[in-house]
Amino acid sequence: MTAVLTPRLQVRLRKRLPKFDLDVEWRAGDGVAVLFGPSGAGKTVTLQCLAGLMRPDAGRVVVDGRVLFDADAGVSVPPQQRRVGYVFQGYALFPHLTVAGNVGFGLRHRPRAARQRRTEEVLTRLGIADLADRYPGALSGGQRQRVALGRALAPDPALLLLDEPLSALDLPLRRALRDELRTILAAWGTAAVVVTHDFTEAYRLGDRVVVYEDGRVIQEAPRAELLWQPASRAVARVMGLSNVLQGTVLKASPDRIQFRWRGQTLEAVNSPSRSYLPPPDSPLGFFVRPEYVRLIRKDRGADDPTHHMNVMMGRVVREIDFGTTWTLQIRLDEPGEPAQGDFDLEVEVPRLVYEILEIERDRRWRFSIHRGSIHVLPSS
Amino acid sequence: MAAMSPELVSALFLSVQVALSATLLNALLGIPIAYVLARRRFWGHGLLDLLVTLPLVLPPTVTGYYLIVLLGRRGVLGQPIYEATGWSIAFTWYAAVVAATVMALPLLVRTARAAIESVDRDLERAAWTLGHSEWRTALEVTLPLARNGLVAGLVLAFARALGEFGATLMLAGNIPGKTTTAPLAIYTAVQTGERGEALLLVGLLTALSCVVLIAAGRLGPRAV
Repeated sequence: MTAVLTPRLQVRLRKRLPKFDLDVEWRAGDGVAVLFGPSGAGKTVTLQCLAGLMRPDAGRVVVDGRVLFDADAGVSVPPQQRRVGYVFQGYALFPHLTVAGNVGFGLRHRPRAARQRRTEEVLTRLGIADLADRYPGALSGGQRQRVALGRALAPDPALLLLDEPLSALDLPLRRALRDELRTILAAWGTAAVVVTHDFTEAYRLGDRVVVYEDGRVIQEAPRAELLWQPASRAVARVMGLSNVLQGTVLKASPDRIQFRWRGQTLEAVNSPSRSYLPPPDSPLGFFVRPEYVRLIRKDRGADDPTHHMNVMMGRVVREIDFGTTWTLQIRLDEPGEPAQGDFDLEVEVPRLVYEILEIERDRRWRFSIHRGSIHVLPSS
Repeated sequence: MAAMSPELVSALFLSVQVALSATLLNALLGIPIAYVLARRRFWGHGLLDLLVTLPLVLPPTVTGYYLIVLLGRRGVLGQPIYEATGWSIAFTWYAAVVAATVMALPLLVRTARAAIESVDRDLERAAWTLGHSEWRTALEVTLPLARNGLVAGLVLAFARALGEFGATLMLAGNIPGKTTTAPLAIYTAVQTGERGEALLLVGLLTALSCVVLIAAGRLGPRAV
């Protein structure tokens, strides 16, 4: 676990809003912090409070030891003096200025020669020097993103804020630009806060992820920890994870948990970082990532018990083609109400596997889940 | 075509002079008012809006009457000025400018305000985070981007000022060679049976208005 010894960014905000109240507290160190959560959870409001574009009712914002806002002390540095760069959703490039004019816009207080030098340096570093005399209207989505980044980075801000930086783009481009954005942020090394409602984006961009829901922080963790140990069912739900399920505890020890679910006895690895020991018969939340459910081939002879644990039998009731993968919705051969509507588990298989196993024709499968792939969700 | 009498020439020139001055004053007064109404919330916001818009709906003679109450020789402002300097604005060509300005202001303010409100606020916020004061941001971002609407508003204001009649008659009177603008001259010509002169002025004013509108149309789409 990467401990944040000297938080570069300390945020505590309270703001009453028409639809909900924002009440959050979190910290971030070097690198990229991602504010992740559904739309309308208060992420953009948080950015605007950090930039000084909106005034919180209470709280404190500190960047690199510099107090930008402190309600109790009556401090509120205006946005002009915060040294906080802001990349707006849709980029908000000035349409009446050239690319060079946009990038140089935050350098007006510098002498002309210095301004020119810095603008050229930034454009060259971002690989858009040849676009200097173009207007934003004539740029592609990717070029606009770089200009927006260049404009925000040129004055050398202490903190960079990015509001849904990829939402203006269509899907294939989005993926490419996400990786480009990650490279640029890493190369410039400016502490950054990125807002997104897309989990893949959060995971790819963030060193640290802060999960928002309804104006509250429901988890704050390094990204790896978040993915494997969502703090609660709420976090798993917000993250859009499928197969978030509920069983009944049989026996819990510090390293294993046995539980019943849909007539099956399953075993999971207990989370080592939290000694979670629920009493027998208590409800147990858990989730299984669809890509970690294994179909058992029918042409391979006898089961290998060390290989195949938590074996179940079921039938494919629905399948969805995602291009490179297929998602299968499987209903167990058990009486009673299925766990997720008309099916129990979602399973993701690569396209090649789907074709080799002829799943299109063959609908009944045995499958297994390794105990390490069942993630227990502490109920709090 | 009948030869133009000196009175007609003077009326026409006076009209253009008054309309240009009123347009200039509109730009100086109206654009800041439009900006403030569009972007700021303050005490008296509604009152200012109402006050600026009122001449659009009031009968021009009523607006003219208020102007006399305010600026006439015995007016609220006019009397102290007259007592101090022995000069009154009433019945001078300046009075025609004031009347035209007040009558044209709502057209400019409403058009300019809509144009300013249509500028994406994120562009202004971006400028603030890049170190620009609200004032610099207005000059370098908001107003340049609202240019189309500002030009359209100024054209409307010019056209309105050129045709102003009622309020001008109340405050400036109809003194040939001094405060008789083209619309007043048309009225006088019709009253005294000088059909030819009236027709000539009507034709010239119509042509001038067309030229202004066409020029504005050409200017508009070219802006960003």
